[in-house]
Amino acid sequence: MAEVSYEQATCIYPGAERPAVSALDLAIRDGEFVVMVGPSGCGKTTALRMLAGLEEIDEGSIRIDGKDMVGVPSRERDIAMVFQNYALYPSKTVGENMGFALKMQGVAKGERAGRVREAAKLLDLQDFLDRKPRNLSGGQRQRVAMGRAIVREPKVFCMDEPLSNLDAQLRVQTRTQIAELQRRLAVTTVYVTHDQVEAMTMGDRVAVMRLGQLQQFASPTELYDKPDNVFVASFIGSPAMNRFDGTLENGGIRAGGALLRPSDQQLHAAQGHGKLVVGIRPEHLSVGGGGELTLKVALVEDLGSDSFIYGSLADDPDSNIIVRSGRDHPRPGEVIKVGVDTAQLHLFDAGTGRRIGG
Amino acid sequence: MTAIAPPVAGVHHVGARADRRRQGWVRRAPLLPALVFTIIITQLPFLVTLYYSLLSWSLVRPGSRHFVGFGNYVDVFEDSQFRTTALNTVIMTVGTVLIAMVIGVLLALVLDQKFLGRGVVRTLLITPFLVMPVAAALLWKTMMLDPTFGIVDFVLRPFGIGHFDWLSSFPLGSVMIEMIWQWTPFMMLLVLAGLQSQPKDILEAARCDGAKPFAIFRELTLPHLRRYIELGVVLGAIYVINEFDAVYMMTQGGPGISSANLPFYIYQRAFLGFQVGQAAAMGVVVVVATIIIATFALRLIFTSFSGTEQAA
Amino acid sequence: MSADSMTAQAGPVTPAPEYTGARKKRRHNSLTLGIVGWVVGILFFFPVLWMVITSFKTEAQAYTNTPRVIFSPTLSEYKTVFSSGLWPYVANSAFATIVSTILVLVLAAPCAFALSLRPVKKTRDVLFFFISTKMLPVVAAIIPIYIAARDLHLLDNIFTLVILYTAMNLPIAVWMMRSFFLEVPGELLEAAEMDGAPLRRTVVEVILPVVAPGVAATALICCIFSWNEFFFAVNLTATRAATVPVFLVGFISSEGLYFAQLAAAATVATLPVILIGWVAQRQLVRGLSFGAIK
Repeated sequence: MAEVSYEQATCIYPGAERPAVSALDLAIRDGEFVVMVGPSGCGKTTALRMLAGLEEIDEGSIRIDGKDMVGVPSRERDIAMVFQNYALYPSKTVGENMGFALKMQGVAKGERAGRVREAAKLLDLQDFLDRKPRNLSGGQRQRVAMGRAIVREPKVFCMDEPLSNLDAQLRVQTRTQIAELQRRLAVTTVYVTHDQVEAMTMGDRVAVMRLGQLQQFASPTELYDKPDNVFVASFIGSPAMNRFDGTLENGGIRAGGALLRPSDQQLHAAQGHGKLVVGIRPEHLSVGGGGELTLKVALVEDLGSDSFIYGSLADDPDSNIIVRSGRDHPRPGEVIKVGVDTAQLHLFDAGTGRRIGG
Repeated sequence: MTAIAPPVAGVHHVGARADRRRQGWVRRAPLLPALVFTIIITQLPFLVTLYYSLLSWSLVRPGSRHFVGFGNYVDVFEDSQFRTTALNTVIMTVGTVLIAMVIGVLLALVLDQKFLGRGVVRTLLITPFLVMPVAAALLWKTMMLDPTFGIVDFVLRPFGIGHFDWLSSFPLGSVMIEMIWQWTPFMMLLVLAGLQSQPKDILEAARCDGAKPFAIFRELTLPHLRRYIELGVVLGAIYVINEFDAVYMMTQGGPGISSANLPFYIYQRAFLGFQVGQAAAMGVVVVVATIIIATFALRLIFTSFSGTEQAA
Repeated sequence: MSADSMTAQAGPVTPAPEYTGARKKRRHNSLTLGIVGWVVGILFFFPVLWMVITSFKTEAQAYTNTPRVIFSPTLSEYKTVFSSGLWPYVANSAFATIVSTILVLVLAAPCAFALSLRPVKKTRDVLFFFISTKMLPVVAAIIPIYIAARDLHLLDNIFTLVILYTAMNLPIAVWMMRSFFLEVPGELLEAAEMDGAPLRRTVVEVILPVVAPGVAATALICCIFSWNEFFFAVNLTATRAATVPVFLVGFISSEGLYFAQLAAAATVATLPVILIGWVAQRQLVRGLSFGAIK
């Protein structure tokens, strides 16, 4: 159990133009499950490895329970890491893999075996304790990797995309298992993934990263409802948020070929910003409704319970709009009217990308 | 409809079997040239050697050859010199291979890390393997180990060990030093291959699990290196057992036979003593012994290597 | 209502904060390791270095109680070496090396192919047989070989050496090339088969490019062993077919053991292989590690 904080932590590889992780600030509470998410190259894995001691902290610091970790080797940090490819010790059995860290700590054989057995029970690995990793399936190896971390009762769990090598069904199953396990053990966990669905479902708070910089660190709901900038807005949520160029006009915002009326507070905050980016999620557009937009339907994805309508504005064939609909939906080729729920508009400054208004 | 089936199936069957046999030959054909060539050039002489070993035949006395059955073999096993040189061979082989492997492991550990000029150092380290064995032997005999003018002498003089005739006092050791010098690069490269084939994330996991560097080496790296070390030891042993050039050039087996190994001793018998029958018998004994030992060793390696092939 | 009403990109990138460059010292431990590495490297290389240095001395300079590092170099010993009829020996060595290596590749490649890509029953036994041929001490087989060569009038004939060197290197070549063939991904062959390529074309256009570096590595190893081979050469050749190692030994015996001369002769004899080994170092390392180090 421990608090983890990144304080202006920076990591730059020799010869690189920009830092892999740039002045990262995160305050993680004891027992919290934090997910770092972002596209490849955003620095999330590097940030995790800095915490584990596998990458240098070139500037700033990282603290675990208030203690500065700069210059402290991995073995002294009391961190358990689950690797993407599991990194199981090939010459050792499952039991020896899980007991390895305890052996390094000098724990007596008997106690070691006991703790390994307990963890094995949690993960349903009791029958595999004498097998070598090469005789295990992918899912079993993943559980051993988790077991190796759990046995240690460390201060922090670090997990580097542990689900990415599993097939889809196993991934969903294991996702819930990990979340449940973490809640039960209450160990501070930092979890890296590129999958925003994992981020949204597992994390207490999520840190969205891009090109080495933190974009926003908030709960999944807040990220979804109040994205701090255009990047977060378009990264979180699937299908992605619709975005329009907008300009401020008297009494409203002209975007998508219509004059939209956001809230008074938003309108007021938008004064002085030249060009705007207007965002609205597919579920806040509706077929018919106020009919502010005219859409030509290109494609419809029918998912059974919902459907997503893909199309373009009637007078802007290069645009891409997504509207969520129900089982009754228009056909491709039709021209429909789409209503905008102006209470759910997001406004961003086109120059900085930052959120405007509440 | 069912009435047609049996005769058709019967015809199909015969055709399939002949087809498979032809396929088998097509698969084996590329093997044959190399196999046949090797059998002719290596097995025929061995068979002839076997035959000679049953004769008493001295090349200086033509017409003297006659059949003696296992007489030569009895002589060989009763020959104390044969036993001495056999012992020398064992010492030379085990010593050279083991020491070269230990040094090779250490050097590989160094070369596995990045440092300035690593490529150049690697080039320097593989050079001894490239030097012609007779040239290397002469080099060590004269420029390195000469009691008066050798470098080793120069270096050890301040320590009070000057003007020491290494080749006379430690003939076997001197030859071994030269062979270790030549074979360490080979061992080093094999072990380096092993080190570089170890996935890095396993080492990182061990670091996170609290393992100090030496514990990582002992618990993870060494088991991983096992198959590479085994391969190096077996291949090295095969070559070192048959080493001739170094003994011939450095000491001529002397003083006496204190640095003679089996190949050299057999050579003496055959080409200097012209005792074809005896030399042949010794050769056969060496072959049999080597094959027995190597069979066990190689089967061990094969299981070790192919086990991991399956896993991969 | 602008032409690009949808901003396709995910928003502007905020410029990164100024990086002050207060870098912590990275990889400080490589200094000690570097020193150790260089010391060991120089130690191992030193005998060769000393040999080359000595070759540029006169005998008087070479026979000094304290080894001299500062001296005025001379080519006098090299002149002696080159004027002793060196070139025929070099020609013989080159011929035996090159021809036997080509022969080895021609025989070993299909054999390695059969043992790897199209597995044959008893692969292990065949491989073991090849290696077992190296366990025969050549000293034992030399007698029948000598007598056979004598009776067939093949003594002092360079082709005798060619054949023997081929047999000598074939096992290692088969083992090495098999390990390189094993690296060819199965999908490559399947794709070629789907594309309708007949076997020969598949081999030439698909497999060969992938194994070419491995073939080069094997060839290099065979060249090294052939050039350096002494025992067969000294026993089976006399004047016409003698190779460089024989020259070296003969040179010493006739002239006696003079350091500078010996150094020059040894340098000349060993230099080709050392240089080739250095230049093609990557191939050499691949070969010696059976394809494991690229």
